[in-house]
Amino acid sequence: MSSFSVKSEYAGKHILLTGGTGFVGKVWLVMALTRIPDIGRIYLLMRGKGRSVKDRWLKIVNENPAFRPLHEKHGAGLSKFIADRVEVIQGTLDSPNMSIEDSVAERLRDKVDLIVNCAGLVDFNPDVRVAVSSNLDGSMHVADFAASCKNAAMIHVSTCYVAGTVDGVIDETIATTTPNGRPLDAEAEYKRLQEIIVETEAENESEETVRVLTDEVVARVKKRGYEPTEKRVSGTVGRLKAKRLREVMSLAGTNRAKELGWPNTYTYTKALAEMLTKSRYPNLRHTALRPAIVESALKFPFPGWNEGFNTSGPLIYLASTWLRHIPAKPGNPLDIIPVDLVVNGIFIAGAAVMRGEHAEVYQTGSSDRATLTIDRLTELSALGNRQHLRKTGVNRVETLLLSRWDAVASDPEHMLNVSNIRELVFQVSRYLRHGRPEKIPSEWKDGAESMAKTADKAQRKLRQIEEVLELFMPFTYDHYMVFTARALEKHHVVEPEFRFTPEEIDWRQYWLECHMPGLRRWCFPKQYENKETETYTPKVPFVILEDGAAAAPNSQEAR
Amino acid sequence: MSESKTAAFFRAEGTLIKSGVLQAAAYMASQRAGMRERLLRFGQTALAAPIFGVLGQNDRTLGNRVAHLSYRDITDDRVAILAEEYVEDILKDKILDAGLELMKQAKKDGHRIVVISEGISEIMEGLLPHLRHVDELICNRLEYKDRKATGTLLDPIMGGYDGGSWLKDYARKHELDLERSVAFAGHGPDLLLLSSVGKPCAVNPDFTLRKAAKEADWPVMEYTA
Repeated sequence: MSSFSVKSEYAGKHILLTGGTGFVGKVWLVMALTRIPDIGRIYLLMRGKGRSVKDRWLKIVNENPAFRPLHEKHGAGLSKFIADRVEVIQGTLDSPNMSIEDSVAERLRDKVDLIVNCAGLVDFNPDVRVAVSSNLDGSMHVADFAASCKNAAMIHVSTCYVAGTVDGVIDETIATTTPNGRPLDAEAEYKRLQEIIVETEAENESEETVRVLTDEVVARVKKRGYEPTEKRVSGTVGRLKAKRLREVMSLAGTNRAKELGWPNTYTYTKALAEMLTKSRYPNLRHTALRPAIVESALKFPFPGWNEGFNTSGPLIYLASTWLRHIPAKPGNPLDIIPVDLVVNGIFIAGAAVMRGEHAEVYQTGSSDRATLTIDRLTELSALGNRQHLRKTGVNRVETLLLSRWDAVASDPEHMLNVSNIRELVFQVSRYLRHGRPEKIPSEWKDGAESMAKTADKAQRKLRQIEEVLELFMPFTYDHYMVFTARALEKHHVVEPEFRFTPEEIDWRQYWLECHMPGLRRWCFPKQYENKETETYTPKVPFVILEDGAAAAPNSQEAR
Repeated sequence: MSESKTAAFFRAEGTLIKSGVLQAAAYMASQRAGMRERLLRFGQTALAAPIFGVLGQNDRTLGNRVAHLSYRDITDDRVAILAEEYVEDILKDKILDAGLELMKQAKKDGHRIVVISEGISEIMEGLLPHLRHVDELICNRLEYKDRKATGTLLDPIMGGYDGGSWLKDYARKHELDLERSVAFAGHGPDLLLLSSVGKPCAVNPDFTLRKAAKEADWPVMEYTA
């Protein structure tokens, strides 16, 4: 066992961070700046996303709640503090050399000690072109860059679910076979994926596809009583073709993933990235860090911090509705891990790889040290909703009845599953629109129409939930997986705040006082309530100081 | 913790709170997940009522065992949350102020305050902040396996005659002078507890205890709030 101080290991070290604007990357960045003030320089690779990278960086630091601890600690001095430690670099992973300006790239090659690659696409079944570009090409570009550096080590953030659709204990090694046991040549598979993309594009452009789409459009135009002119038809066919291409590309990735034993494109491409990095860069000091399902922060930047899309959110949301049957197999672990523990893992693994004492893979999950089963998670969600509705229910139906409408883990085929309820809502909507008696008072007609609209909305929401539940079914119902998380134990960390300690999680306290309130505050408004996510407003805004020039912002102006 | 060498023992039910274990078990049963489970467990709790009625003034062990059978298969998470609710919504309003005054006085007199209850630890521990002066709580504990209650109470079961037998060991462990200690209780099965201390007091006693108190010439107190 090695023993080290994370603070000492990172003191004066220069780090290149990719994916630093994502959920995990942002917590890593804020934790580094908060807990390791002696860190060298952090080079933050960013895309502008329609604006300059500096504007985007300014907006993130000034509005994202994750930066709250830094604002609170440094106040007006934050701009100088950050300017001394962070340099924002424009670049994108989908191009060779990460599109970094040559002179900047040369400087980084000399200086960087560690590359932390948190970037990646976490959509489960995206357009396969996007998945390949982000998760495979992107990872290879980062590894290429790391290999070209003078002295850089690399940590690649992957996922525990690269194991695919298997059951049992998942070890901390990089596989050489597909999850269904076939030997896998990663290079050949990478090529095959590119071929699949080309074939799918060709199929979408084929005469047959164009003919079918044209026939469809012509029939539709005629049905609406218009003349199917060349201009009208070709424009619509073009749009349908583009839409179809995205759909078939998504399906092509999913099909290939499932054929080999992965549940979705995300885990498949992430697994390939691990294999390719290992085989292509035998001399590069690198390690893969695999988080399980990353959820709300336990303590840092503050308890309950969460953002964006997450796994347990839909389950918890479902448990708060009248739908009480959550498709889940009692006893199956759902490996939830708070984001700050994952980030601790990244710091430890990063220190180990810089010291050359690293393991091939580090898994950061909770299932082998503090198992949380899906049925316990379901009950905790029901209890959390109970507590919430008893306090905040808008009427007695919510405070007395819905609060006691406990969700339970049940078979996906249960009679009252989401699909059946959605179908029922659809039938109700159809009846209200087309099946109601002809001769009814006009005010009843208006009422029926309004109810039908409500039913349509409910149906759309149910469809959304149903799709998400289907995506998670491999983890909540189909497979029993326990991820070992022992490699990190081989490094004794001096500072308690940097240790990876899932066994200390009190799940009840975490779920009810931390995670669920966090989701309600930071995730549900945008995902389910069509509201804007809450932002943070610092007392003194952060400003970008060029070349580390010290100039405290005018606080009057800032206000 | 008090350094005193004497103690004041309070049997919670009837002395400090108006409510008993049956009400708690009925509340828990009515809040189980699913209607079937609620009806089944509520029925089980109801079975305990006649047992308490018939045997309650002599030995409450059987009644306690039957009442707590309804906790079977409930998870520790649900017990914790429901216990919190039960204390906040119901039990804290059933606290007897006169009992609190007795406790306050006993504390002032330098006694170590020990509360003995038939209630389960999850509920009684939540009530402690409302009772304020308690040094130690001795109550019933549910047995759990794989995070689910088995419906069995762990020994020793408080509320029966046997429940009082721990007193001598307890006194020895804490070096208490039982002769100078006081006890307040209201049920027949508390006779052993009351007769073990030098200054017993029957509070709102049932028929059996009232008779025994009269024979032993123990003081009797009556209060309802």
